[in-house]
Amino acid sequence: MRRGMTLFRTIVVATALAAAVPAMAQQTRDGLNPTGQNPTADSVTEEFLFKQEPKIGGRVSIPDGKSANLIQPQGREYQAFREGWLPWIGGIAVLGILGLLTAFFLLRGRIALDDPGPDTGKKILRFNSFERFAHWMTATCFIILSLSGLNYIFGKRLLMPLIGPEAFGTLSQWAKYSHLYLAWPFMLGIAIMLIVWLKDNIPEKLDWEWIKAGGGLIGRGHPHAKRFNAGQKVVFWMVVGFGAAMSVTGVVMMFPFAVTDINGMQVTQVIHSLIGVVFIAGILAHIYIGSIGMEGAYDAMGSGKVDLGWAKSHHDLWVEEQQAKNASVAQLGTRQVPAE
Amino acid sequence: MKVFVMSVAAAVALAVAASFLLNENQKFAYEAFATSGARVSEPGTNLVGPKWNGETTEPSGKKHGA
Repeated sequence: MRRGMTLFRTIVVATALAAAVPAMAQQTRDGLNPTGQNPTADSVTEEFLFKQEPKIGGRVSIPDGKSANLIQPQGREYQAFREGWLPWIGGIAVLGILGLLTAFFLLRGRIALDDPGPDTGKKILRFNSFERFAHWMTATCFIILSLSGLNYIFGKRLLMPLIGPEAFGTLSQWAKYSHLYLAWPFMLGIAIMLIVWLKDNIPEKLDWEWIKAGGGLIGRGHPHAKRFNAGQKVVFWMVVGFGAAMSVTGVVMMFPFAVTDINGMQVTQVIHSLIGVVFIAGILAHIYIGSIGMEGAYDAMGSGKVDLGWAKSHHDLWVEEQQAKNASVAQLGTRQVPAE
Repeated sequence: MKVFVMSVAAAVALAVAASFLLNENQKFAYEAFATSGARVSEPGTNLVGPKWNGETTEPSGKKHGA
């Protein structure tokens, strides 16, 4: 009798459980409470937190408050730019300008010296030693900064598969050192060039005439120009403007979080990288026209002296100025006695 | 050529000087973010040691947890 009661109770409990479990499982799957209420309805949601601030953070005990940052959606946009857009923009900028220059060279060829004239073979000083020193210091720094900068974008994609992760790691470490340290002589060089060449690079009406005439690149004639033509002035202001922007953003990144927060740091890097690739493209064009693009142009920064015939063709008004200056100095030397 | 060599030498000299000046003003994370209540490990170490027995040796040779 007692055994019979126990069996009966067991059957009753088992039946009740068999009926209850599927119903509970169903409720759990639906995320519903048996009472019909949502137990997390009043809890804080991610959406609610993002309405208060653009990021979600907590509290930490170490003095680095940034480590309390838990979620920052803006960082995903930055990452999409850094890993998605930037390599494409950089690749198109650098390869695009190389393609354009190659096409221009094939179409136009090297711009040759004019036919020999009475001034061919004579030399005139175009850039003194200090000017060339400032130019080459800035230029050599720029080349290393460009290569090490491009390594930030393309290194892991293009170089690492070729040389392996260990060599790439070592190379990138040294590239980073060179990027941070050569930035300083680069900035100094920009400042010196600004001071030395500013007076010769003020835009004027003559520049517009030079542009309208195609600058001598198109056609055969050479429009009038003073010490720097409109094209060179564009290069000068590009170097000064981009150089200043790269310097400011570079220094901000060199001292992380000293000036701005994480959003600011990311925006700074976006600006630095975008200007950087455009700067490289612009300087590639400058290197082209100063070397293989135009016969006689390299001498200006090589030895500092250019062919007088070349100078009269490309910078006729400047040659006149120089010759007038020399003539007045010579006159002073012969007719006036210097004060003692 | 002489001017070019001088400009490269000047760039290197200024870069080296910049490296010393910048390093003077920088701290490692384990120095900058450690407090009396929170110790940040030096690079290359962790809190449990290489054998996971709590014995750690900092790069400076200082022993912890022995």
